[in-house]
Amino acid sequence: MSKSMIPVRVASVRDVAPKIREFRFTAVDQALPAFSAGSHVMVEMQGAEKTYRNAYSLMSDPADISSYGIAVRLQDESRGGSVFMHTQVQEGDVLNIAPPANLFAPHWAAKKHILIAGGVGITPFMSYLPEMKRRNADFELHYLYRSAQTGAYRQQLSEALGEKYFSYDSDHGQQCIVHQLLAQLSPGAHVYICGPESLIEAVKTEAATLGIPAGIIHYEEFAAPKPGKAFTVSLASSGQQIAVDGESSMLEALEEAGVEVANMCRGGVCGQCVTGVKEGIPEHRDDFLSAAEKASGQCVMPCVSRAVTDSLTLDL
Amino acid sequence: MQTNADKPELTLNPGVKSRPQYPPVSLNPAAQCQVFIARKNTTGDKAGALLKPLMDEAEKSEKSLNIIPLVVGEDGDVISMSQLPQTISSLPLASSFYLAGTEAFIWDVAKLICEAGFIMEQVHLLPPVNNERRLFCTHCYAITEPVTHSPAVCSGCGRHLLVRDHFSKIHRAYVGVQIDAEDPADLPEESEELC
Repeated sequence: MSKSMIPVRVASVRDVAPKIREFRFTAVDQALPAFSAGSHVMVEMQGAEKTYRNAYSLMSDPADISSYGIAVRLQDESRGGSVFMHTQVQEGDVLNIAPPANLFAPHWAAKKHILIAGGVGITPFMSYLPEMKRRNADFELHYLYRSAQTGAYRQQLSEALGEKYFSYDSDHGQQCIVHQLLAQLSPGAHVYICGPESLIEAVKTEAATLGIPAGIIHYEEFAAPKPGKAFTVSLASSGQQIAVDGESSMLEALEEAGVEVANMCRGGVCGQCVTGVKEGIPEHRDDFLSAAEKASGQCVMPCVSRAVTDSLTLDL
Repeated sequence: MQTNADKPELTLNPGVKSRPQYPPVSLNPAAQCQVFIARKNTTGDKAGALLKPLMDEAEKSEKSLNIIPLVVGEDGDVISMSQLPQTISSLPLASSFYLAGTEAFIWDVAKLICEAGFIMEQVHLLPPVNNERRLFCTHCYAITEPVTHSPAVCSGCGRHLLVRDHFSKIHRAYVGVQIDAEDPADLPEESEELC
């Protein structure tokens, strides 16, 4: 994995909301690759005790690859990554990033795009908007935030988008009625949600109630892997034993031990890191494997999932 | 021609991946609008019979569903294929479609539905009412239909075409390739009835 990483220089750092900090990256010795609207990059952070790897949406215009922009929300229950970005990273620093990957591209055949952002979930849409403008696509942006914490870029979005922009500041009692929003959609509309799990679930549930097909609802959630009880991973090939502490993900523990596992989203959605299970029972926490695959217990997504049993033997 | 007895037992699925499968269709009770579209009967009302149990179920539903039966034909008493797009585009997003008729017909209608902005998740295809296929010639691009036997003569270039099981969703047709390209005398004696 390390050989495909790209070094980038932190060209600027600025606060764009009380808890959101924006970082601009420029090339060090190799040009930044082109990317498409909705892409993300995985940023590697060399902490004092461990290496953090978090995926962040690119929020800059895909037509301009002279720099990349990401915005990081300081997480209340940070596992270290967002605290590192907020307290340790300064202008001039060099970080390693993985090349952009896209799991949240707009469905360009849609007749209308309904973008729903929750807090820092505005970031992927920042890359959608210039592209939608160039393609003359019909869209609406619904932006839900708490102005005491998030709500980055709302001034510029309001000015640039005019009547296509709808904002809901829950710190000022403004609520988005998801039912109303969905009930007025006509055929050809596609809905995109980026935000907390609760927002995604609310939209999915309302859509199902209204009889709206699940296939027009697209979402991206970069939930950090949630902690759990500690367990041990055994590698079938070598018998090597690797301890996974309660705070680390299985993937992180494997990486710390020098075991490379292909991965991309690190959030249980893309399917890249799927790994065979030889012994033990996995505790599935991903959105990728089917119910039947989960029930079979023969594979696991180490980026978010853990173990029910005290040890798990992986086909590695 | 090989008979079944000559064939070694196949352990792999011998089917062509692109050939559509028609699993049993059930009513989607969440949809607000239930749309039943059948080709006007030509060989008994097979299409109507396929849709009837689903329509009965929709009518019995406790929810007040909007049930729309559409029969497509050329006569004045039914809707024509060219009128269908306008009707479809007036339907709400929360619609489910159930289509019955020949295979080419159900895929033609499915295409119109998707062009109106709906997605295939909303479109339920009942098994085709007969073995008629639409055939796309890979040499001259002409369409020949209906085709029930292979090889078939292309309506465009007159070539003898082997009717393959590969189904093109773009053309809503099976593709045909010349069967006697290397030796015009080498035409199979028997034609095979398609299934």
